[in-house]
Amino acid sequence: MSDGAKRTMQAYVELLAEDPEATSALAIARGRLAAGRRLTAVKRVRVFELSGPLPSRAEVEALLHRSTRFYNPAKERCTVRAGEREPAPFQRDEALVLVVDRGLERRPAGERWWKHETGEKVEVREGTVWALAFEPGEDAAARAAELAEVRDRRHGLFANPHFQDWRPGEGATPPWPWLERPRKRGKESGS
Amino acid sequence: MSGARVAVVQFPGVNCEAETVRALECAGLETELFRWTRPPRELAAFDAYVLPGGFSWQDRVRAGALAAKDPMLDELAARAADGAPVLGICNGAQVLVEAGLVPGNGGGELPHVEVALARNRMPERTGYHTRWAWCRVEDSPCVFTRGLEPGTLLPLPVAHGEGRFAAAKKGRVEALAEAGQAPLRYSRPDGAIAEAFPDNPNGSEAAVAALCNPRGNVMALMPHPERAATLGQVGRAIGGSWGERRERAFAAADGSAFADGPGMAFFHGLARHLAGNA
Repeated sequence: MSDGAKRTMQAYVELLAEDPEATSALAIARGRLAAGRRLTAVKRVRVFELSGPLPSRAEVEALLHRSTRFYNPAKERCTVRAGEREPAPFQRDEALVLVVDRGLERRPAGERWWKHETGEKVEVREGTVWALAFEPGEDAAARAAELAEVRDRRHGLFANPHFQDWRPGEGATPPWPWLERPRKRGKESGS
Repeated sequence: MSGARVAVVQFPGVNCEAETVRALECAGLETELFRWTRPPRELAAFDAYVLPGGFSWQDRVRAGALAAKDPMLDELAARAADGAPVLGICNGAQVLVEAGLVPGNGGGELPHVEVALARNRMPERTGYHTRWAWCRVEDSPCVFTRGLEPGTLLPLPVAHGEGRFAAAKKGRVEALAEAGQAPLRYSRPDGAIAEAFPDNPNGSEAAVAALCNPRGNVMALMPHPERAATLGQVGRAIGGSWGERRERAFAAADGSAFADGPGMAFFHGLARHLAGNA
């Protein structure tokens, strides 16, 4: 049970099987976008950030596992990160692009479920992380920034700036917190 | 038939192609389904283009985002620049917006993406939403609403999870509407512009249901006119003159339920435009 102290935890959810969204994103970025020519891999991971009076990591993992509001354990795996120095399921050389729908990051259904199960009021936010790996020697952060924001049909892919924000990250320890940060426009936060 | 040829451009995951072809043929247009496996250059043989609804590429990454990068869009952009009509319905609208063809105000052959079709914003609910919505025809140069008086009300079905016209710059969508680039806006049954859900079914800025380019030959339309192509398809809850016509048609039991429904207006508008250009 929670001791009442406010905590933050991040839950990273990825498909166990090959992810068709990531496969298509890789194919389109490599084939159609100049910034994606030297892309070697794309991984898509959904991320939930929970903040409030959370119980222990083990209890959070158990709650997430049994809820239908966060992920499906039969086809997805979940990695809970309980602190800034804890690893996330990314490689050190991957450039990360977090995409959130502006003003719609909160997940009321998840928050209601948490309240119902634990009696605690917890904020739940959700976004999508695109982890991008490039050929050696490529400026991964710069290319990821170019791929992040759509400008026209030849430039950008992952976020439409007219309703989405994006935030950069790198390596196995993404920003902490990441979704709860004060909101900025994608271009400003990424450059 | 007018002699004009229309291509219904199908990407994988599109699922409204058959009824779209049928509606175009009912408007007297020679129509061909053009699948994504064909060379894009073959599009040049057609006079107009319709991108139907569905889920192109399963909505991967974002609705319309992947199809917008397809080489087919380069060809469609070139044909649109020459004045050929291009209509995107629902997912087709999302593709046109993600490709920058709508509203298409800047960037020449490679127009900037100026707006988005964002996730629906609805009270107490999220996700996919379907209902009949009243749409008001606005004064615009759009070829698809040619022949319709501004103020005309059409009941049309909407069915989408991402149908909210939005722009990063506050007031941008409203400015487009004021400039005549919103041929259709959600309204109340009495014709007043919809101010809130459910009349505005997705929270679209300025209650915009469709946007077109300044020239009026490319339109991104969120409602599904092909699902309102006959009187018999008009929803039971729809009142007003369309509801009365529907009731009379069913009462007559003489086949008049297959007469033109409100959605045919756009396909007839296209046929009139193409006939005028012939």
